This record gives sequence, structure tokens and C-alpha cells, in this order.
Amino acid sequence: MANLCMLPEMKKSVSDSKVFVVGAGGIGCELLKNLVLSGFRNIKVIDLDTIDVSNLNRQFLFQKRHVGFSKATVAKESVLCLCPTANITAIHDSIFNPEYNMQYFKQFDLVMNALDNRSARNHVNRMCLAANVPLIESGSAGYLGQVTAIKRGVTECYECRPAPRQKSFPGCTIRNTPSEPIHCIVWAKYLFNQLFGEEDADQDVSPDTADPEANESGDNSKVKHQHAQVDAERKSTREWAKENEYNPSKIFNKLFAHDIRYLLSMDKLWTKRKPPTPVDWSEVESNSQTSVSEKDIQSVLSLEENAMLFSESIQNLKQKLENEDEDGILVWDKDDTPALNFAASAANIRAHIFGIETKSIFDVKSMAGNIIPAIATTNAIVAGLIVMQALCILNKQFDKCKSVFVRKCVNPAKKLLVPCCLDPPKPDCYVCAEKPEITIAVNIETFTVAELKDQFLKKHLGMLAPDVEILDGKGTILISSDEEDSGSFDFDRPLADFNIINGSRLRADDFLQNYDIIINLTHETKFENEEIFKVLEQTGVAQQQKSADVSATQDNTTVNNTNNDDDDDICILEENVASPEKKRKLQQSPNHDDHNSKAKRRKVSESQNDSSVLIID
Amino acid sequence: MLAQLSQVRPAKNLRFGFFQQGPLCFDLQYESVQMAEKEKKYDRQLRLWGDHGQRDLENASVCLINVTATGTETLKNLILPGIGNFTIVDGGRISGQDAGNNFFLDPEKIGEYKSKVAMELLQELNPDVKGEYVEEDVSQLLERTPQFFTGFSVVISGSLTLTVLKKLAALLWPHKVPLVVCLSYGFLGYIRIAVEEHAVIESHPDNAHEDLRLDDPIEDFVKFCDSIDLESLDKKDHSHTPYLIILFKYLQTWKNDHNGQVPNTWKEKKQFKAAILAGVRKNAEGVPEDEENYDEAAKHVNTAFVPNKIPPELKAILDDHKCLNITDSSSNFWILANGLRQFVQNEGSGFLPLRGSLPDMTSDSERYVKLQNIYQAKAAHDMQIVSNYVSHACSSLGCGNGRVSERDLKRFCRNAHFLRVLRTRSLEEEYKQPSKAVIDEFTSDSNSDALWYVLWRAVEMFYTTHGKYPGIEDEELEMDVSRMKSFVKDLMKSWGIPGAIEAVSDDSLQEICRCGAAEIHSVAAYMGGVAAQECIKLITGQYVPVSGAYIYNGLKSTSLTLAV
Repeated sequence: MANLCMLPEMKKSVSDSKVFVVGAGGIGCELLKNLVLSGFRNIKVIDLDTIDVSNLNRQFLFQKRHVGFSKATVAKESVLCLCPTANITAIHDSIFNPEYNMQYFKQFDLVMNALDNRSARNHVNRMCLAANVPLIESGSAGYLGQVTAIKRGVTECYECRPAPRQKSFPGCTIRNTPSEPIHCIVWAKYLFNQLFGEEDADQDVSPDTADPEANESGDNSKVKHQHAQVDAERKSTREWAKENEYNPSKIFNKLFAHDIRYLLSMDKLWTKRKPPTPVDWSEVESNSQTSVSEKDIQSVLSLEENAMLFSESIQNLKQKLENEDEDGILVWDKDDTPALNFAASAANIRAHIFGIETKSIFDVKSMAGNIIPAIATTNAIVAGLIVMQALCILNKQFDKCKSVFVRKCVNPAKKLLVPCCLDPPKPDCYVCAEKPEITIAVNIETFTVAELKDQFLKKHLGMLAPDVEILDGKGTILISSDEEDSGSFDFDRPLADFNIINGSRLRADDFLQNYDIIINLTHETKFENEEIFKVLEQTGVAQQQKSADVSATQDNTTVNNTNNDDDDDICILEENVASPEKKRKLQQSPNHDDHNSKAKRRKVSESQNDSSVLIID
Repeated sequence: MLAQLSQVRPAKNLRFGFFQQGPLCFDLQYESVQMAEKEKKYDRQLRLWGDHGQRDLENASVCLINVTATGTETLKNLILPGIGNFTIVDGGRISGQDAGNNFFLDPEKIGEYKSKVAMELLQELNPDVKGEYVEEDVSQLLERTPQFFTGFSVVISGSLTLTVLKKLAALLWPHKVPLVVCLSYGFLGYIRIAVEEHAVIESHPDNAHEDLRLDDPIEDFVKFCDSIDLESLDKKDHSHTPYLIILFKYLQTWKNDHNGQVPNTWKEKKQFKAAILAGVRKNAEGVPEDEENYDEAAKHVNTAFVPNKIPPELKAILDDHKCLNITDSSSNFWILANGLRQFVQNEGSGFLPLRGSLPDMTSDSERYVKLQNIYQAKAAHDMQIVSNYVSHACSSLGCGNGRVSERDLKRFCRNAHFLRVLRTRSLEEEYKQPSKAVIDEFTSDSNSDALWYVLWRAVEMFYTTHGKYPGIEDEELEMDVSRMKSFVKDLMKSWGIPGAIEAVSDDSLQEICRCGAAEIHSVAAYMGGVAAQECIKLITGQYVPVSGAYIYNGLKSTSLTLAV
């Protein structure tokens, strides 16, 4: 037999290769099996996660008795049971661990991502660029899937296209003036953390007295001052709840009667809006003894039922909290029944108060957990496609790699799969371009070093441990990733305190990612919606193209991912709104090309809740 | 098969501890604990096909004929989401080669029956699913107890000899049991679905227009709109008037000025939008206020006036002889379709029952709820009429009123616009003469993957004649290539397109012979995903299955569906 795949040299390059699988979830399980059965023998697999019941409908290497165990370890054991000759190393760890540095990545011939979140995808992308190892990126969401190959200097990197911003809500909408169910759900999740979880100052749930709309004077400093004062006066919600022994009726009255009355007193808010109606516990205290649990989680509960559920879930959560250590906290998990019931009931009661549509527990779960549906079939399809690309790469046929999209249903050209040519690197990519520069506008008088580090360098640029030097000719260090040094910096001071002015330049560097970038600062005082910085420009020199085989076609779809809690395999095929004028070039025969270019592109909102999730076919 | 976890301990950051240790939130009966657990396990898929889709899946029984990697991968993807039960039919025993590319054949069990070993390993994937096996060859079973096959929800088969395949297909066809042939052959993947008729109520289109009926407004809606005078509303109410009302009011004015016509052309729509936006309130300085509802109204001009027509696919269903002539043996789908047809002809005066759902919009809750009630009441009213027709039909057919549940009726009416009926050609027809679609696709595009369908047909002819697949023996490779070429020639001649042989390159013939019938695991894994997805569509009656064949070209990562 002379199968292409079985040509002796091909067989050898596969069995001699060393590959790294990042993620052992839905795609990861399928991929491990496929690799081993395709002749791969040296595989390392890493996953931080442990097995959950909701994984079992597709992550076929796991069974119910494995719930709670390390995904990577169980996946390895299960594969070895049937393919004992493979050499698999399972790592139960975070891919962000500095142990997995550039040198570590260099040992592999190929890295394959089977990840579920954007920040890890970004990180692996940078590590592979730094180590110059080809990467296959993949994802699935419901019936949709995508596989694409990335190689330094040859194709676009994962970050060549701007990430869609996660839809966020202004704090005062959440705290003072909700108008949609999602606002109440976000509030309820914050409330959970305030009462039982890790407290976060950005997740306050009580009335926001600094709402600019309520204080039309608009004097910022005064508002800030007021705000601080109120904060100081108020005990933390957690302390308050503890003192009251998590008494459900007291908590209910504070949140839904007292706080709402306080909001009503901020009368400027209600000149254009329908004011909320406070609800007292005595009004909803239920006489009926029927348990709410008899209701379907798909039905919409009444106010009384929600109040009862609220009370029941507080008692349950209180119990759980008591089982923790002294400083123990609970972590909100959409798959934890009391946590979900708490969030659903609190959100629905608040929605009722503000005259907003209430939702079933099932729907709240989707919205709160940002759940992306996931099924075995799509993952099987995606993992099969990954291996086909892997074989091309190991066979030194990178030019045959494609970006392949899996559609929900057959398109007008009768295709379920849409393969596209890989694009060359974007010259202005702030990650893979040589000498990247980014220009941002900030208010130098108020923008602090901490904000620069956390909001811009870590959150926006995806750095892990940035070092920042001011390019002032003296090499002043602004931020040092070295922990011993960091004590000497005053992170809460604004940039202006460090002689940074309009036009100053900074060099930010992440040692682990082997990534550095020049930041040009522009002074600006006007920002919309709680924004604290704006990206004005990105420039750089495209990586040297090493292969002429990759055609220079444009493609305005990209792998993307929503910032969800902990779900698997999410990856959204997304239209890049920044370049709508560019048309995707299909890798097909001429007459099909014609057919496809005529086919209209549609945007569909995927989950009923999250309008930031766009699907494009 | 799965790991014995001697050295693995639960990880510290156990996020899901509660479910294992603690009491559940409420006092649940044992049964509901099981239910809750199922809901958790299947949570991510319930969001795609709902409880009723899951129920259909759990009631399904699936048969796999012949244990191939593609076949077991398909079954795996059906067992994980929880079909009711499966049966594997295969009289063969495990060889080393089988175990090498099939995850569900244990290499330590070489020599044992494939059906038994695969069944046992597959069953481990999901304790809710029941597995059975028959260690007998399909041809014998077909001979001895043909009725064995007709009780399944779906029969999946790997490659069979043509005689057996045709016999199986002919057996299943009149019993309306869908046959899914699914195989991978080198870099080629092939699925063929044969089903006489498959009705889809929930086709889940991804570009559905809202059913707002602005061209045939509901009486109560008109009254409600008339009761609102936009001019006299205060600032708050003006900016919280639902856009539907705004659209309707401006539409009335427009129609008065345009001989009763709605804005049709792009230019008219643009004018209409401008008219709406001119209605935005202005403050004392003449600056327009921020009125989101007016923006929404302008934004929906393009979609809100799409005329309410019956789509051609639905028209064909309503005019189908099965819809016109229902009998006591008609399926619920046709009885419902008959009721729907009567509604459209009579009370509906050409329109479908109202869907009854409203999109989200900026509004105060009072008016939104009022609108919602109007739409829901009309939908319920329409549904009642359909229901009456259905009950009447049922009783006159003597098949009882309880036959169609209210839930089914509701789902049917809500999805009336998107109903689909799939009818594929039978294998008998396919092998007698090619469909026009095949000829067109193959002759009009020399790069089409329809080529691989042609080559697969030639491989079947090769096997029938030579009793083996081409390219199995290295030394006969060249000879097999030329043999294949002559089979393709014969096929083209019998299709009446002898000249089309030119489109079959020597490279492609080489390729199909070179793979020597090998099953490449990654192709098998891919095809297993696609085939299982098609089976789920067939079982749940949701989403539209491919109409005929699906071809995957692993060399180019392309695919094609073909009505063969």
C-alpha cells in the first residue's frame, strides 16, 4: 500500500515530530486521539482545568468518575489505555507559567491550540512567534468551527486583527439605571462576589452617587471626592452581611427596598426614565409552601417565587461559605445550582423593580455564564481538520495550509466547509510586526502607572509581566516586572509625576513573550464612557515574508473569542469591522469564486444575549 | 478502556465540589436529582436543540453496520450526546490493522469480534446509552431476519458490496428508515443519505425576518396605535414609544401620500427613514434629542416591510399531494400541514398564522407588554383555528383528537414559515441514472469535487468486478489505474456524457488508487463528526440534512453537497 500518509519519509517525520497540544477540552480530547492514531508519538499536552459534569457530553476521554480530576492527566491515561506505544506527557498547569518560556517552545515542531479563551490564545501566539514554531489555531462554537495555521513572517498572527472589545456596561447603568435584563444579571453576579466571593471595588452594587447624570454640575474632582467619602462611610457589603448573619429578609430589604429608595432620591435620574418601584420583604414573603424547585428551570418565575428562591439560595450559600476556611470565598460558577439560583433570583427581582423583562433560570445561565453551546460533532470535525493541516506542515507543505471555516448549514455554493487562503502578516500588527509602535491618548495628569500596567499593558496588549522604560535618554525605569523593585514605584501616581509629557515615548517589554513595543503618548482630557485611554495608531514593519507561496489575498474574518468564564472551545468567527471593504477571497475554482462573492454576508447574533458575539458566514 | 486513575488525585481547585458533597439546593426526589444531573451533563447541547430535541435523541435507536474507524467515530459522536441505544452488526474479527486506526478496537483483543469489542468500548462513553452487538455478517442477517433492520431510527453503514448495499437500501426505503452510508477512502470522505421523506419543523434558519405584519396589521394593533398621539406625548413617553408604533404611524402617512403603496425602492426607503428621523423631538435650542426608539424605527425600515409571502418551499409543502389527501396513516406533520393549508386558504386569507413573538425594542414596559399581548393573543387565536381544523381532520379520519399535542401544534404554527420536507432519491434510482444535479455539477466545473463522486462510483464497479479495491497491491498499481480509467469511461458512457472523461485527470486516478482503500484516521474523525451531525438532524427533525451526498476532499479541505 502506498498511501500518501504512509510514505516512509512522511511516516517518519510524523513519528519523529514533537508536538505540543495546548488544552485538553472538547477539541483537545479529539485531537489527542487523532494524533496518536495518525502516528504521532511525542506529544505534550497542557491544561489547567479539571473535569466538570458539563464536559461529558463531548470530552469523550472523561467519564463521570473523573469529575474533579486534571483534564490533561485523565486525557493522557485514557489515550494510553488504547495506544500504549505513544509517548504523552500530561501537564496540569497554566500555560502562562514562566516555565514554558521561549526555549521550552523551541523543542516542538508544531504547537496546536485547543483553547477556550482569548488571553491564552494571545499568549501562545506570542510564544510561537518568539520561538518561530508553527501554530495551528482552532475553535468551535455550537455548529461553527474554524482552523487556521500561523507561521512567523508567512501568515497573519493570531493578533494581526484587532480583537472585538467585550461589551461592557458603564458602572452607573449597572448600579443605578439598568434598562435591560443583562444589566440586572451583571449586577447580580457582582452582588454574589460582594456577599460571598472575592470583593472587587469595580463591582460595587450599591447606588452610585457619583453618577454624572445625577450630578449635573459635572465637576469631576468634586464628584470623586464625594464618592470617596461615601465609600468610606459605607461598610463593605460583606461585613454588613456578616454582621446580619446573612439574614435573607434583611439582605432583601437592604437591596430591594432601602437602596432603591435611595436611588429614587437621586431624582435627576428619573426625569427621563421610569422610576423603579421598591419592594419590601413583607410584600413578597410567600404564604405558599410549594417549593420553587418543582418549577422547570425553563419557566419564568413570579416575583414571590424569585423572592423565595433568593432566600433559599442565600441560606445555601451561607452554609457553603461557613464550610470554607476563615478567609474562604466562594467563586461564582454558572454550573453551581445555588450560585446560579442566587444570581437568577436577584437579577429577576431587580428587573421587576425596574420594569424590565424577567428571565428563566436557563436563560439567565446563558447570559450570566456567557455560555457558548458545544457539541461533540463540531469538535470532531475541527480536530480532524487540525490534523490534516498538521500533516501538511510536517510534510513541509505549508503553502497547502488554509484557514478553514465550518458552517452551520450548507451555503449557496453547496459547501459546508469554506477554505480560505492564509493572509500575509499585517504590517501594522502590534504583535508580529518588527519594531511595532502604538500611539495612545491618555490624560497624563490622571492616568496612573497602575492603570498603564493593568489596563493597557496587561489587559489591552496582553503582556504578562511588563517592564517599562521611559525613552528620555536616561533610561528611567517606570515599571519593573522584578518584584523586589516594584516596591519602590508608586503605582497610584499619574504619569505626569514621572516627567512624562505629551509626546513622550515608552518602551514596554515582556521578557517571557520576547515581545517589546514602543508606546507614544498623547495627552487628551476627553474620554467617552469611562474609557481611560484610546488607541490612535499602530505602526510597524511587516515581518519578512519567507514564502512566496502564500498569496496576498485579504480575508476579513478571523478567529475570535469571547471573554467568558471557563467554557471550552469557544471561538467565534467574526467579521472584522475595521475592514469591511475587504472581501474574502475563496480558495476555489473561478466559477465558484464568482458564486461566492455574490453570496451576501450575514451577521447573526449568536447567543440571544450577548450582542458582542457576531457570527459571520 | 479508560484510565484507571491510581496515581491521579482530585485537583485542589475543585470548582465543582458542591454537587458531590453537599445537599442539593432543594429537597429533590431521587428522580429529579438524576434529571438535574442530566441537564448539567447535556447543558451545552440543550442550548442548540432544546429539551424536545434531547428527548427525540434519547428515544432513538441507531444501527451501525460494519466496524470502521469512520463508523465508530460516528457512533461515538451520537453516544456522547445521549441517543437511546445502538447496535453494531459485524461478523469480522479484529486484525492488527483495524486496531491501528480505530480508537474503539483494543489492540489487546486481536482475534475477537469487532462488533463486541467496539460496542463495549463505545458504551463506556455514556452510561445512559445502551449498546448491543450482532457478530454476524450483514448479508446473512439481511437474508435471515430482514425485519431486524427496519426497527431502527437510523441505519449507518460503512462501505458494502453493491449487491448488499442495494438490498439494504431497498429494504429500508419503504419502511422510511433513513440510511446513512458513510465512509472514508484515503483523502476522500463520502456520505450518502437515503430517505424517502423527512419533515423538518424547526429548520433554524439564521436569517429569519420578524413576523410583524405591518402589511396586514392586526386589528387591535391598529386600534392601539390610533390611541397614541405622538405629538401630545410628554418627553419621556415620546422617547419610549416602541418603534413598531412609530413605523406604523409613519407608514400610514406615507401610504396616504403614495396611493397606498409601502416604500419599496431604496430611494423611497431612504426618504421614509428621513421622514421618521425628522420626527425626533428637539430641545429648546433646536438640537435633536437622543431618542433611541426613532433610531430603531429608521434602522428597521429595510426589514419591516418585507411582504408577508408564503415562501416557495412552504408553498410546495401545502400543495403536496400528502397535504391535500390526508389519511389515518398520514404522519402528524401532514395532518398539521393540512390544517395550516386550510387556515391560509380561509381565515388567513393568504397569510400564515402569526408567529406572535416581538423583537426587543426601546419602550416603557407598559406599552411593550401591551404590544406583546396583542401579538400573542392574535397568534393564539390563529393557532386555535389551525387546531380546530386539525381536530376536525383527526376525528373525521377516526384517529382521535389526542394525536397531535398542543406543544407540537404550537411549534408547528410558530415555525410555519420555515417548514421543510426533504426527499432524496433512492439508491435504486441513483444507480439507474445520475441526477441532473450530478451531471451539471460535474460537467460545468472541472475543479468540482463531484469528480470524487464519479471516482467513488468507479471504485465500487472495480470492487464488484475484481473483488478487491484498486491499488491494494503495489505491483498492480499502474494496472489498476488504467482499469479504473476504463470503469470511469463506462460510467460516463452510461450517463450519456462520454466526453466528460477528459475531466478525469490521471492524477486523480492515481490518487484514488494510491490510497489503497486505507482509512486515514483524521479523515475518519472528520467524517464521523459530519455524519453524526446529519444523524442528529434526522433523529431530532431539526435543521435540514444534506439532500443526498456529501463529499469531502481532504487534500484541499473542500466539501460539496450533491443531490445524487
